[in-house]
Amino acid sequence: MLTTPFPAPEPRQWLARYGDELYRYALARVADAHGAEELVQTTLLHALQALGRFRGEASERTWLFAILKRQVLDYYRQQARCPEVPLAELAPDGPTEADFFEAANGHWRAAQAPASWRTADGPLEQQELQAALQRCQERLPPRHGAVFALRFVEELPAEEICRELSLSAANYWVIVHRAKLQLRRCLEKHGLGRA
Amino acid sequence: MLRLISCHQATLLIEQRADAPPPPRDRRSLWLHLRYCPYCRRYARQTVLIVQLAQARAGAPGALPGLPGAARQRIQQQLLGAGLDSL
Repeated sequence: MLTTPFPAPEPRQWLARYGDELYRYALARVADAHGAEELVQTTLLHALQALGRFRGEASERTWLFAILKRQVLDYYRQQARCPEVPLAELAPDGPTEADFFEAANGHWRAAQAPASWRTADGPLEQQELQAALQRCQERLPPRHGAVFALRFVEELPAEEICRELSLSAANYWVIVHRAKLQLRRCLEKHGLGRA
Repeated sequence: MLRLISCHQATLLIEQRADAPPPPRDRRSLWLHLRYCPYCRRYARQTVLIVQLAQARAGAPGALPGLPGAARQRIQQQLLGAGLDSL
């Protein structure tokens, strides 16, 4: 094909055109501003190196976002593989089922039993809830946070996550279960619990 | 024959059924458990809400701030160093 349906990329315009948009996409996923800036930077550097491979099959914007999405997945993979666990932390993977359920019969411990939640009505409240969830996600052990994001935000199939992170199916479910138990408890403590 | 399950087992099954329907035996056990356990019924609703919230945030980041000026300049420098000017 001699002509391409999309015009050639204009790298000098990337930051001005897409800097904010790429940054917000990253920031909604990685929590801290520094991490999001890094993702934008590596995305644009990768794109610059891959310029010769731009085929015009998608718009410049779509192409850049595809590169950013791959960077985000790599970010989660790294987070899952090398958790920076503080030395003082005794339980590097955080609370276990024993913190939530009675050892004797597997029922909810009294203090952990789910309470009913206020419902989210207005758009402002939705934003507050999303921000609360973001803070709770940050408190998860790194590997739990990465598995939660890969499965439920990026919507990768469970088998792919297990393969990528070398997890057995049983371990995968333990992590998903613990991540949800912790997020649920954290949200209840910070905003969603009935006043 | 209905097998009674604990809240620990029930909440794990609730997570797993979102991926694939559990075997009939587990499905019946979970159904029975949810009939009499209000806490696990809440868990089942709340775990769905948690995912919806996470997806809503990632899907509509419009309210978040834009790329800070200092970072913009730094990235511009990096791009220049990687040959942006020689294109």
